[in-house]
Amino acid sequence: MADPKKPRAAFAPWDRRELPGVFDVEESARRVGTYKWIEMRLFEALGGWVATVPELDVKLRLGTHCYHHAWHAELWHKRLPELREMNPDRLTGPPNENMVAFVAALTEPEAPELTIEKLVGVYRVLIPHKIAAYTYHLNNTSTITDAPTIRSLKFVLQDEFDDWRDGEMMIQSLLENAEDVERAAAHQARLEQLLVAAGGIAGPGTIGDPWAKPLEPEAEVPA
Amino acid sequence: MKHALPVEELARDERFVRVELFTRAIDPRTVPDDRQRAGPRIKITPDRPDAPDAARVLMHGIFMGELQALEGAGRTCWDFETGSGPQEAPFELKLNMARQCWDEARHCEISVKLGEWMGTEIGEFAEATFLYEAACNPDPVLRLTGVNRALEGLAIDVFNTMREFARAAGDPVLEFCEDWMLADEVTHVKMGSDWLRKLTEDDPERRQRALEFQRVVDKLFSLGGFRGEDDDSPIRLARRFRELAGFADEEIDEIAGLSREARDEFLQHRAALAEDARERTGTDG
Repeated sequence: MADPKKPRAAFAPWDRRELPGVFDVEESARRVGTYKWIEMRLFEALGGWVATVPELDVKLRLGTHCYHHAWHAELWHKRLPELREMNPDRLTGPPNENMVAFVAALTEPEAPELTIEKLVGVYRVLIPHKIAAYTYHLNNTSTITDAPTIRSLKFVLQDEFDDWRDGEMMIQSLLENAEDVERAAAHQARLEQLLVAAGGIAGPGTIGDPWAKPLEPEAEVPA
Repeated sequence: MKHALPVEELARDERFVRVELFTRAIDPRTVPDDRQRAGPRIKITPDRPDAPDAARVLMHGIFMGELQALEGAGRTCWDFETGSGPQEAPFELKLNMARQCWDEARHCEISVKLGEWMGTEIGEFAEATFLYEAACNPDPVLRLTGVNRALEGLAIDVFNTMREFARAAGDPVLEFCEDWMLADEVTHVKMGSDWLRKLTEDDPERRQRALEFQRVVDKLFSLGGFRGEDDDSPIRLARRFRELAGFADEEIDEIAGLSREARDEFLQHRAALAEDARERTGTDG
């Protein structure tokens, strides 16, 4: 048996965590506030869409996914006071007006025959962007000082990957001809442009240079 | 997407047929003619020759209720701005409603599989949409009393009764599933009880309106007194589980009273119909 009195390093040889991280407390809180905002918009929309979707399997999956994103919103809500934001509502918001425009376009489809548009907006545009933003945060924050955010990010990402796969399979099962494919692609392109204009779910620098400027929308995005 | 989706716009595939609640109740496929003549006191027991049919009807009705409960909870996430005003819903309430969406989605899955196991299929029986209509109230507190306390409360009674039926019939799968769903329903009713108290803490008038709405829904779903505390009540009022869900004794007594009232009204109505028939035909009925 190893000598219990023998001094050991605080970090085991296999523990490669490091102190440096890209985000200070303030920037981390700002990002978390935008995450909470978009998770709220998403779970509200999924909940609202349940009644508007006639496909039974899709209806039930949207109900399940609605809770996943509500839980993410709750995780971020609880994290904000730990990042010195004692009034979580203050930082719960979109990064810019382009993001508001994106959410308005995302949640616009309502009619029962628009299930493809509803799913494409969530599973081919928003969720991939969320995965990118969360992954960037996970890979760039301090693995020691920001461990609580990392823990939440890992739980959240697991849901996002699972839901992404679910959503993509539902979309594929609904695309039956070239017209459907074009519909899906056109809607995806329209929303993607809006989200690019917003700079990502946390604004410019969502997955990189925090000083990056957002792309200006060239013209009115066609509906 | 607009806020407040009217019941006419609930999206369904071609299997579903929608009818009024009353029409569904008198549909001979739902309640056979001989049973309708016998009155409301027809408890489902395994020794009844038509027990499998009756259980299938009930299971299909449970599925439709779960589906609308899912849709209603989802709409509460969407229909209201987040906040503490009278036409708003607090963040935590929306989180609860999202959780309920997940639970109701699971209940749909469970009831579809149980329905297949019991020999029925989606759309075999008609759909009445009163549950969703109760979930469309513009005041979130009234949604909570109408759906979470009244209708989910009824679900507690139904699941408890089905669990007892399953036990008596020796169906461990049905018993197992009803037991799990019962646990979820207690949680949903408790959500309703907790939010009712919290949101109306300083507004007794709003609380009164909410409780009155609950009474209306409870009375409507007493349907001729089919829910009660007697041994022959088709659906037994589940006192213990309602207590766990935040109901006070006097509230449970009130529901029992409403059920008795509904039964008396049903019997009077039936006697009047018989009298009318005698007068018209000149027979003793």
